[in-house]
Amino acid sequence: MVELPSGQAKAEPPLGVYFHVPFCASTCDFCAFYQTVPKGNAVARYLEGMEAEASLVEWGARRATTAFWGGGTPGLLQPAQLLRLGAVMLARDGGRPDEWTVELAPATVSPNRIAVLRELGVTRVSMGVQSFQPALLEALGRRHTPAQIYRAYDLLRAADFPSVNLDLIFALPGQDEEAWRADLAEAVRLRPDHLSTYCLTFEEDTALWIKLSQGRVRLDVEKEAVFYERTWDYLEAAGYAQYEISNFARSGHICRHNLNTWRMEEWIGLGPSAASQFGGWRGANPPDLSLWHEQIASGRRAQNDRVRLTPELLAADSIIFGLRMNAGVNVPALQACYPAAPWTEAVSCLRRLEDEGLLLLESGGQARLTKRGRLVADAVGVEMLEAFAATARDIP
Amino acid sequence: MDTTLTRNFCIIAHVDHGKTTLSDRLLEYTHTVSQREMTAQHLDAMDLERERGITIKMHPVAMVYRAADGKRYKLNLTDTPGHVDFSYEVSRSLAACEGALLLIDAAQGVEAQTVANAHLAFAQGLKIIPVINKIDLPSANLELCMRQLEDILTIPAEEAILASGKSGIGIAEILEAVVKRIPPPRWTDYPATRVLVFDSKYDSYRGVISYARVFSGTIKAGDMIMLMSSGQKSEVKEVGAFHPAMAKGKELGPGDVGYIVINIKSTEDIKIGDTITHANRPAKEMLPGYKDVHPMVFCGLYPLEASDYEKLKVALGKLRLNDSALVYQAETSVALGFGFRCGFLGLLHMEIVQERIRREYGIEIISTYPSVVYRVKQHGAASVEVDNPVNMPDPATIEEIQEPTIRASIHIPNTYLGDMLNLVMEKRGVCEHTDTLDATRVMLTCLLPLNEILVDFNDRLKSITRGYGSMDYELGDYRASDLVKMDILVNGDPVDAFASIVHRSKAETQGRALCEKLAEIIPPQMFKIAVQAAIGAKVIARDNVREMRKDVTAKCYGGDITRKRKLLDKQKEGKKKMKQIGRVSIPPDAFIQVLKTNH
Ligand SMILES: Nc1nc2c(ncn2[C@@H]2O[C@H](COP(=O)(O)OP(=O)(O)O)[C@@H](O)[C@H]2O)c(=O)[nH]1
Ligand code: SF4
Repeated sequence: MVELPSGQAKAEPPLGVYFHVPFCASTCDFCAFYQTVPKGNAVARYLEGMEAEASLVEWGARRATTAFWGGGTPGLLQPAQLLRLGAVMLARDGGRPDEWTVELAPATVSPNRIAVLRELGVTRVSMGVQSFQPALLEALGRRHTPAQIYRAYDLLRAADFPSVNLDLIFALPGQDEEAWRADLAEAVRLRPDHLSTYCLTFEEDTALWIKLSQGRVRLDVEKEAVFYERTWDYLEAAGYAQYEISNFARSGHICRHNLNTWRMEEWIGLGPSAASQFGGWRGANPPDLSLWHEQIASGRRAQNDRVRLTPELLAADSIIFGLRMNAGVNVPALQACYPAAPWTEAVSCLRRLEDEGLLLLESGGQARLTKRGRLVADAVGVEMLEAFAATARDIP
Repeated sequence: MDTTLTRNFCIIAHVDHGKTTLSDRLLEYTHTVSQREMTAQHLDAMDLERERGITIKMHPVAMVYRAADGKRYKLNLTDTPGHVDFSYEVSRSLAACEGALLLIDAAQGVEAQTVANAHLAFAQGLKIIPVINKIDLPSANLELCMRQLEDILTIPAEEAILASGKSGIGIAEILEAVVKRIPPPRWTDYPATRVLVFDSKYDSYRGVISYARVFSGTIKAGDMIMLMSSGQKSEVKEVGAFHPAMAKGKELGPGDVGYIVINIKSTEDIKIGDTITHANRPAKEMLPGYKDVHPMVFCGLYPLEASDYEKLKVALGKLRLNDSALVYQAETSVALGFGFRCGFLGLLHMEIVQERIRREYGIEIISTYPSVVYRVKQHGAASVEVDNPVNMPDPATIEEIQEPTIRASIHIPNTYLGDMLNLVMEKRGVCEHTDTLDATRVMLTCLLPLNEILVDFNDRLKSITRGYGSMDYELGDYRASDLVKMDILVNGDPVDAFASIVHRSKAETQGRALCEKLAEIIPPQMFKIAVQAAIGAKVIARDNVREMRKDVTAKCYGGDITRKRKLLDKQKEGKKKMKQIGRVSIPPDAFIQVLKTNH
């Protein structure tokens, strides 16, 4: 079991702030994130947009307890641009976030950028390694070499960031179990504080998806399942405790920002495609720079897929996303939090999952998925949704 | 009225032995239609019937023929549907005649349908004129055909006329034989009007048009008539003859074949084989041979797209207008949704109706396993007829179940005799006798349960004999048999569409095959799901649906949560569209796939 930083202990409710930096040097084959190759003054305009959007948020007296810059490739910004973005983050009084993560691609890790990030107060760097093997990097359409990975990692370590994460991808076409184990072993050898291992996902509208639909690559669910199981066992043994489907940490290094979103706390996302859950609403910005600029200019934000955060929705999502975590969820606590939700059905659904060996219901009311359950967490989610029958209503 | 110059006849033949071609030649020879009109008429023929090996039933034709004796004869040629599924209808068409041309393809010899049709014609007391056709073919084997005539059909070989519809050989000889050998109309002096209805068609302008043969008396527009089977009275709106187009006439008299339009709405109201008589001077006896026909084979028909239900209903209604043997009734199935339980005269009838729904009405349909009509005797209760396994009474109350049998006449090359006998045995049949047709072919007469030939018998027969075998059958009697109802359960809940009535000895094999197929086709499930075959409470076969191995999104952070939530909602909505068997959600087409692969 992994120790969890307790959000409830503090008087201050957690608030995550997410910045989406929508620029990449090129598009990776598997990528479904919103990103473009920056042209002309696109970055400068983006920074203006971020400043404008931040001013639209009704922060009140709230401070960001955690922050996360993702993308895209935040590291594509020049040091000066990073500073300007940092100023948006720190504009309001209330101080720095306790945890502040920035995603960096290995090729963008430079001493100048590192210095700026350290100065801003970034505490955590997440680096998209994906694989240590040139052939697989090539197959993914990634623009970095193993040498760049090692150089970047050394720079990060030298800069003494409190926490460094490496992202890896598995179940790649052409990757056998042995190749994956080699990648894992190499990652563990570097001793990062945190590891995220992602099963390759075939997302619609990606180059990979096209290959799949053309039959040039094949989906192999059994292979994916086996890779998952091997990964979990391997990292556990190597001292990285799993705390979520794809996330592993050495003691004290769990990513609190993500933990908070899975616990249905509040977060504010700025930038194109960024989602927010704040002030009783959930919604996302348009995944397009010009549409986003337009919306901000008209004084609106987070209008896409907008839903009101009803107790039913929050209760269902707390369970659905909470069960993705190894710690699971505490049913009585949720029940106390959202008494109006249809708990009878939800609990009988949990019991049924328990009967099938997919879930454990502990005496304190803590519900956790078993290994088998974690492998089918989406199907479990759908099952829970049916139990709650709490389809979020779209607001006209 | 002088009937001595009238002859009523028909042509009976195995499919492709040249009936259509020969009919055309007769019409041409008697100048009934010009050659050009002929082609046009035949282009209308439905592909379907041709493919299925039934000649399409055309309406009767009246010809005028100046015979060698110098007299002008009126020859009425009626057509027959030519397949035993419709044997009752065939028998009624035959009953409208005094004689029949029995056509045999000189290169093929006697085949299954030849025998079946010949027997029906004998039974109607018709004078049979054997015609060996296609003698122009180099492979014609006249000697063999002659011998088969004598040996199999007991018709003297010297009566045979050698002909070729294609080359026009023997046409005059055939017409002479019709005049000389076939007797003039019978039963003309019966003291009241009796008219046989041997077919009816629905016409959207005129309503129901009945094809009729007058035996005695006359009938004309304005007459009040009575349908003797029901006593229903009605007024005649129009009568006429076929020249070959429908030509309105003043009246129909003894020996005439023509059409009658009476004031009724649907073909259901006028039964094939019924006798029409005058309402105020009614005949005492009906013409012989009338039967109420009952469907023998039932199955559920469901639209693949639920939204096509109304279209299917309309299609069945329209088909029924011209096919009173087709019956249907709305039903719902847990697995397949809303559809219809339909009854058919036989297997072929069932296939034709399904095919016409697909082709002519453009509706994709799926059918459940066909079932015959069982007679179930219950302890201390009246016996019931069951045409849907779902309605089978509780086994504890059942004293005996009887099933319909058939007498099949199977023609095959003798090299395949062993395999064929094995098939018959596998299908719980017995071979009563085998007759040698010629040096290479034999005819088996077998008794089989009707239920056993419903699904794949014909396909197996064809594959065993490399396509050279043929079969025809007539219905036999009901016999007691050790039958049980087999349920298919998914996760303990019965799936109605797969319930079946099977012979106890076959339940396990069939149950296992079905379970395997279902378990394979149902997509992997998160829960352990068993598929079982059971007789009552006793499970006789089981299999497991594959377990879902992996269904989890790798990345799920703040930004992904709206997206992810939408995906899950979509999946949940998708599940609603699935068929719920108890707790298990199964894509609707899974059942359909199983039904398809098993047909
Ligand atoms: N060689 C030859 N072929 C014929 C003759 N009569 C019919 N056919 C052919 O046999 C096939 C079936 O003929 P058809 O009249 O349609 O048979 P039906 O199914 O009994 O009506 C067609 O291909 C005809 O062209 C014939 O006298 N000689
Ligand atoms: S660098 Fe990251 S965000 Fe950019 S295209 Fe590749 S995977 Fe997508």
